[in-house]
Amino acid sequence: MLDTRVRSETVTPDCLQDDVIAAFAEGSLAPDLRASVLPHMATCVRCRGAVASLARALADPAVARELSVAPSGRRWYRIAVPLAAAAVLLLLLSSPGDDPSSGHRGPPPPPPATTPVLRSPIGVVAAVRDLRWSHVAGADRYRVTVFDATGGVVYAAEAPDTVIAFPDSVTLVAGASYLWKVDARTGFDRWATSELAEFRVAESRRR
Amino acid sequence: MDEWVAELQQGRLDAAWDLFLDRYRRLIFAAIRHYAQDYDDVMDVFARACEALRADDLRRLRSWVEQPEHRARFSTWLVTVVRHLTVDWFRHRDGRRRLSAVAEGLPPLRRRIFELVFLDRRSHIEAYELIHAGEAPTLTFREFLGELRATYQAVSKGRRGEILRDLAPTSDAVENLPADPTGPSATGAAEQSQLMERALTMLAPEDRLIVELYVLEELPAETVAKVLGLPNAKAVYNRSYRALALVREQLERAGVRREDL
Repeated sequence: MLDTRVRSETVTPDCLQDDVIAAFAEGSLAPDLRASVLPHMATCVRCRGAVASLARALADPAVARELSVAPSGRRWYRIAVPLAAAAVLLLLLSSPGDDPSSGHRGPPPPPPATTPVLRSPIGVVAAVRDLRWSHVAGADRYRVTVFDATGGVVYAAEAPDTVIAFPDSVTLVAGASYLWKVDARTGFDRWATSELAEFRVAESRRR
Repeated sequence: MDEWVAELQQGRLDAAWDLFLDRYRRLIFAAIRHYAQDYDDVMDVFARACEALRADDLRRLRSWVEQPEHRARFSTWLVTVVRHLTVDWFRHRDGRRRLSAVAEGLPPLRRRIFELVFLDRRSHIEAYELIHAGEAPTLTFREFLGELRATYQAVSKGRRGEILRDLAPTSDAVENLPADPTGPSATGAAEQSQLMERALTMLAPEDRLIVELYVLEELPAETVAKVLGLPNAKAVYNRSYRALALVREQLERAGVRREDL
């Protein structure tokens, strides 16, 4: 397609702040804020170019590798040394007969999930009264997004827990497919995203 | 909470900086290397980035930490800041003289295009009109488009690579020009350009952005889906297909033929 439109790179008061550009590029911008800045993004070559450039940079394997690396060994060392000392102390203080379940301790517990696992709704459901997902170790906040079949966001909210009530004000069309996902905030700088799950409301009388 | 943040909040700026740099040095380097390939340039930009991030008692880092709510990951925000600093550094350092050296090996017409687009920051249509009115009155717009594409390809292969994409004012446009420039005349192109702008304006902002990012910026559909909060690439394909059909319909109604697009 031919695109030789005259463009301007003038900074305007509507131009996006760095954190909004960053959130846009990484796909974490809250849906309501995204909706409010879309008209500007659609017409501002400067902001759109910045988001596109940043998205390309984030997709660069070298950048992506650095974005995904664990905290440096120095940090782990600082945490690991006191933990090891505490473990040794615990061993020294406990006697062999203290544990009533000694001998057979059962299978080890499963490792904590690193991304949320969506529980319900999944598949065909009679109604959607709430959304549920699994706990993620260390997560202090969850962001839920429900999409319609065209990719439009029909519901988005944040919650501190692993369940959120689905509001009556959001109407779901019976028979239509919806997708949803959950992002778990696991640290100052970290979010873990679930797989997408699909559901459909079977009944026509209720969302 | 990260240790460098804790140190920053305690007012221990040197310790905060050391911890910050210890953790993010490699990311900063990777971000700079994405835009610049030359070793000396990378080192100089890194020094400039450190200077800027450390300025005014770590003002940039403090302003991030003190925000009540963070919209993006810190590391993504950091890459955003590094990108700005890198682009600014090249603009400031290169200026006209050094950038001109990039174009030294180009044929005269491409060198002129380079000067107008990259140095004078003219739009593509403005560049054509100036060249057409001056040194090349017989140059058709079709020929210009071919030369423009070749200019972009030539300079992007150089040591500066990706940074030139960000230094050009209309960096996204040339990649969408036809491979075989058998398009319309200059006047027709200018009119089509306005018609195209009008047709895009009629799209819903999100649909327009899908077209701009997926078709014009050539971002992968998966990336566009992520940026715009769409569930998957298929949503991008579907919506861009529908939006482009609307654009074509508008243009055809205005008399622009399908083969001209």
